[in-house]
Amino acid sequence: MIKSFKIRQFVLCLLVIFISFSCKHKEDEYHSITDKIEAKSKNYKGVSVSSEAFFGDIDLIKISEDGQSFLIPERKGKIKSYACIECHTKPLKQMQSKDLKKAHWNIRIKHADANTMNCITCHSSNNMNDLHSLTGAKIDFNKSYKLCSQCHTKQFKDWKGGAHGKQIGGWAPPRASLTCVNCHNPHNPSFSSKWPARFNIQKIKERK
Amino acid sequence: MSDNSKKWFKLNLNSKHKQPSSSGGCGCVKTSGGCNSHQKEELNEEEFFEAAVDASIGDERKKDGFDQVFDVKMDRRSAFKKLTASLLIGAGAVTTSCSVTTGKDDKEKAQIDWEEQFKGNYKLMTDDEKSGTVDRLVRSFQLRTGKTISMSSKNAEEDVLFGYAFNISKCQGYMDCVSACVEENNQDRNSQMEYIRIHEMDNGKGFNFNEADDNYYHEVPAEGHFYMGTQCFHCDNPPCIEVCPVQATWREDDGLVVVDYDWCVGCRYCMAACPYDGRRFNWSKPEVPEEEVNKNQHYLGNRMRKKGVVEKCTFCVQRSRAGKNPACVEACPTGARVFGNLLDPESTIRWVLENKKVFRLKEDLGTEPKFWYYMD
Repeated sequence: MIKSFKIRQFVLCLLVIFISFSCKHKEDEYHSITDKIEAKSKNYKGVSVSSEAFFGDIDLIKISEDGQSFLIPERKGKIKSYACIECHTKPLKQMQSKDLKKAHWNIRIKHADANTMNCITCHSSNNMNDLHSLTGAKIDFNKSYKLCSQCHTKQFKDWKGGAHGKQIGGWAPPRASLTCVNCHNPHNPSFSSKWPARFNIQKIKERK
Repeated sequence: MSDNSKKWFKLNLNSKHKQPSSSGGCGCVKTSGGCNSHQKEELNEEEFFEAAVDASIGDERKKDGFDQVFDVKMDRRSAFKKLTASLLIGAGAVTTSCSVTTGKDDKEKAQIDWEEQFKGNYKLMTDDEKSGTVDRLVRSFQLRTGKTISMSSKNAEEDVLFGYAFNISKCQGYMDCVSACVEENNQDRNSQMEYIRIHEMDNGKGFNFNEADDNYYHEVPAEGHFYMGTQCFHCDNPPCIEVCPVQATWREDDGLVVVDYDWCVGCRYCMAACPYDGRRFNWSKPEVPEEEVNKNQHYLGNRMRKKGVVEKCTFCVQRSRAGKNPACVEACPTGARVFGNLLDPESTIRWVLENKKVFRLKEDLGTEPKFWYYMD
């Protein structure tokens, strides 16, 4: 009797050991990828690589908006006829009255409707070198995003965070993003339709 | 088994070619005499040629694809011949390197071939061994083509976990990403291999891959459609690496799922295991016009592949490990693609994950893809 009891005890012991080991799968220490990201980024010390080498010869300026600061391309140097006052020597009213050649004839505004916007919604007739906000505050051409953000508040929020727009260079810090006017023509901001860059003939053949 | 001349399990589905009933075929279960005791089973050169012709133009024989590949009779001798192919290469290398008449370049080539043939799995290599094989591959390319490439063996960096976000309300289906990817990653031009697929979907029907078109050619964006891209999602729990019988594919510490093209045996188990159709197979020798070869390469990325190996998106490891954005991100004209370091709390990818409504494909599978979709 005692012997069989001992055997039973031994078997029970073995069973406990077996179960305790058999339950150990190759399990990750994190329940999900979000947990992993959260845990691992707590002690984030930065990376050795940098995006700076990939900016090329783009002039960048640093901006700070609501605690987010990053680089955007400088704009004034890219506008062919800047500074504007080289031609606009007098306020617009006086220049229109004279018998001068028509300028900027190729610009057609396709941005909102005429009730909402015209040239002087953004351009100042008295100071062509700068833009102005809806309330008349001066806005530098390099920071034209301040103009767009007056109406496009949602896009502005996403752009600041990085969900809208395009990061240039690389993922590594420092962050540089294109500004509104680098992708959207302010006078005609929507994207046009075009043909796709590629068509795969082999795929057609394979799927026949 | 009725037909015990076969050493492999064979499904006779759809096979119009009637199996010859074998009498006393060689099943290699015999311990004495061996396979060669049956002279019938051996092929002389003429017969082998016949079989090869039949296999290649199988219309007359009406063999199905499986038969064409596997139903070629082979005795043990020729099987051994095939198995010792690598040793023959080695022997060739020895003779060239010992010969006094061959040129210096030939000797070096043979030496490189020898060392490449018997190198280990990249995953297990030390940093010295990694740079050794990279140097050999660069030198080999130089000897063969006279062109110099740069190849990196840069390891994953600490504090980096790559992640990707795709804005489905921004993508317009221009396919500039697909083009950039092919050029960056030296993909086979003949079979028009593409890692990225852009799916054109009907508005209001959600992600319906059955009705989506991933090979459209009309002006885009088309009325009433939206576009979304798929590629390798670099899962954090990737099923593809579990099934690899030779461990030629694995997840690196920065989250990239990579393939060692020199260790891959081409069984394509990983392709079957991937729930996202993220992997591609080289059915033929990949061809890239010499002037189009991207010379900035990484061992685990866009270096030249060979026939019969699996490849896939690596988030452009040759670029991303250097701090650059992948080619698709750089090429996208709409800014629909966001790439970054998930561990950097200041990164844009983190902002997207924390502030936008994001989702992933087939989240319920538990594969934990590091590729999120979001909308404006």
